[in-house]
Amino acid sequence: MDTRGIFIDYHKCVGCGTCEMVCSLVHENACAPALSRIRIVRYRREALNVPVTCAFCEKPPCLDVCPVGAITKNYETGDVSIRAELCIGCRQCTQACPFGHMNFNAAQGTAFKCDLCGGDPQCVKFCWTGAIEYLDNEIAVDIKRSSFADSVMQQHDK
Amino acid sequence: MFGYAGKMLEVDLSTQNIKMRKLEPDFAKDYIGGIGFNARILYDEIPAGADPLGPENILVFSVGCLVGTPFPTASRMEVSAKSPLSNGFGSSNSGAFLGLRLKGAGYDGLIIKGQAQKPVYLLIEEDKVQIKEASFVWGRDAWESIDLLKARHYGAEVLLIGQAGENQVRFASIENGYYDGFGRTGMGAVMGSKKLKAVVIRGSKPIVPADPKGVLELSAKGQNLIKSASSYQAFCSYGTMNATIPYGGFNALSVHNYSRGTLPDWKQRAGRQIVDIYGSRHIACQSCIIACGHLAEITEGKYAGTLVKDMEITPTVSYSSNVGLSTEASIKSSELCQRYGIDMSSSGSVIAFAMELYQKGIINKDDVGYELAFGDDDAAFALLKDISLRQGIGDILAEGVKRAAEHWPGADDYAMHVKGVEIPMIDPRGRWSTWTLGILTNIRGGDHLRCRNPVEILRYNENLYYYQKERFGFKKPMYDRLDMPDDLKSAAIDLENDTVDIAVMSKWAEDLINLYNSVGICIRPPVMETIGPTILAELYTCMTGIPMNPDELMAGSERTWNLMKLFNLRHGEVADDSKFPRRFYRELQSGNIVDEDKVQAVLEQYWQVRGWNPGTGHPLPETEKRLGI
Repeated sequence: MDTRGIFIDYHKCVGCGTCEMVCSLVHENACAPALSRIRIVRYRREALNVPVTCAFCEKPPCLDVCPVGAITKNYETGDVSIRAELCIGCRQCTQACPFGHMNFNAAQGTAFKCDLCGGDPQCVKFCWTGAIEYLDNEIAVDIKRSSFADSVMQQHDK
Repeated sequence: MFGYAGKMLEVDLSTQNIKMRKLEPDFAKDYIGGIGFNARILYDEIPAGADPLGPENILVFSVGCLVGTPFPTASRMEVSAKSPLSNGFGSSNSGAFLGLRLKGAGYDGLIIKGQAQKPVYLLIEEDKVQIKEASFVWGRDAWESIDLLKARHYGAEVLLIGQAGENQVRFASIENGYYDGFGRTGMGAVMGSKKLKAVVIRGSKPIVPADPKGVLELSAKGQNLIKSASSYQAFCSYGTMNATIPYGGFNALSVHNYSRGTLPDWKQRAGRQIVDIYGSRHIACQSCIIACGHLAEITEGKYAGTLVKDMEITPTVSYSSNVGLSTEASIKSSELCQRYGIDMSSSGSVIAFAMELYQKGIINKDDVGYELAFGDDDAAFALLKDISLRQGIGDILAEGVKRAAEHWPGADDYAMHVKGVEIPMIDPRGRWSTWTLGILTNIRGGDHLRCRNPVEILRYNENLYYYQKERFGFKKPMYDRLDMPDDLKSAAIDLENDTVDIAVMSKWAEDLINLYNSVGICIRPPVMETIGPTILAELYTCMTGIPMNPDELMAGSERTWNLMKLFNLRHGEVADDSKFPRRFYRELQSGNIVDEDKVQAVLEQYWQVRGWNPGTGHPLPETEKRLGI
């Protein structure tokens, strides 16, 4: 079973939006943040940037609310995917997603979401700050745990 | 049309007429985008003798044609109009997210004509464009106005003027959101004269490249190239603050209105370590992989609570060395300039000019209303307010140093400007190089930012020795990698003797920077060192589907440069305008003066290299013919 996931370090993001440009280019052959799967919410005055993308939930609320079964979870790969040809454009999933990740393409009348670029996420490849990483769960948690431990260590040194 | 939005928006504020201009493929190929579009439109449509602050002036914003790609730093847009400072071609460049948004609204450019009767703002929501009443923000500073406008128009990008623009201070800026702006040449005064407070833009149309895969591959290649630049890490960490110590080191700082070349405590006051002290998060423009901006915060003392982006060389040199303020006061000056909407470079120069006049007894307390002295932050900020609101002596100083000097006999000697535009930062007595010739040859006057040798500037903090001699000292790998035709490279650079032909290099560097300003990428050193016309031509072709080679691209940039020169000549520029302020020729500074004959000789060589008349600096008929003007 694939236990990798996208992990975002909000403190590293500088808000350049390269991920949005790359994502829309890869999936839609066009450059437009509005067509990107990953989106950055920018607090401009405070210069804080929050990239938002799919968490690939184990119990996806988007899947639960979809009235036509267009959203499925593959427990083998971890992927949560949407079949555009089944989507009726009701936008229930856009409301159900707690992160506001589920996006809606008004021109096509269907919802769309991150598909991890089939296992090689391009946003991660182009993110030069290390804010977006595609890691094994265990490693990601380990990094977090270690950074917490580092702060304890620094306190100890003082 | 691939790559471009395909049309420009034209708004006449006198008649309230709103039109679309279709972008013709030939026009797009010849003038590329950004400053190229601006140059052609201004040259064609502003009559000779037009008043820069009158209804005949035209304000054009054009987006670089590569904006809307993940290519690193593709975010820039250019604003141009006839400058109220120089009476010639005024132009200023800014990044952040504005260019992408305007293109996303469906426009490669925005052309503002005429003059509104009452304060208005322009609301662009893709195809829906409205001229709206702006009395609720008129008179307010830029930050307050942004908050009010964003409350009405959720998620919009805002470009606007502050009080300085409203009052037509000749060096007012146009602000691009809270922290960015189009600073130089008084574009904010032009916007103010049109009674246009703001342009509010919403839009999310896709920009469609001809070859998306090619764009993606070249963007990845661009990232790798820029990351391999020798100055990359330094610029990621400290941005433009890398250059403060070298400027002081080779006595090229503008200290106290150019009366000195450096300050004894310069390193402590403004070395790049202050970024570590006050700076926190990095801030990037669209698609940038350098993120040179830092959020700077002052937590205690007189200026506690100040929160700005600009931990940058511009406010630092302008206010910390030219006006002589403390580090914290110079950080505060960023906020004040952005709120008033005034050029950080020119306003610092004007305040320093007034302070020196006060010191020399040319003006006194009765004229000013309070005492002026270098280093006095309260006086400097009081004067900044008076200038922005045109109160008291501020009303005279708001005209810029050239015009203000006419009020007081003897003041002219202290007016540091070229073509009426105040000179920030670099003193040619400290160092004579491509940069310093660039101050004279700059179409917009007054600064070095349109001419920098792409490989010379890279030894920041490395070895000051090179800056104290007329030597350049770049490394062979840098020379080998430089994307410049071989014959030109060997003509411009003498690797063995470690020298550069300033005239030849200046032309190339100007064309390269002008190309950056056309395609919409940034002039930070890691970009200049690695990104040349070859990769840009490939990217242009992938983006637009229009075949383009590097020579055509550079010729396009040269065409624009010549058009801007012709614009200046039509509006009254003469050969004598390409002169430094007399102080540089007369007054010794750390043992140096600028040798007038030598400068003139290099200038004439440069005119020759450009294909201009070496006596008058006027483009020759064959040059115009070659470039198809």
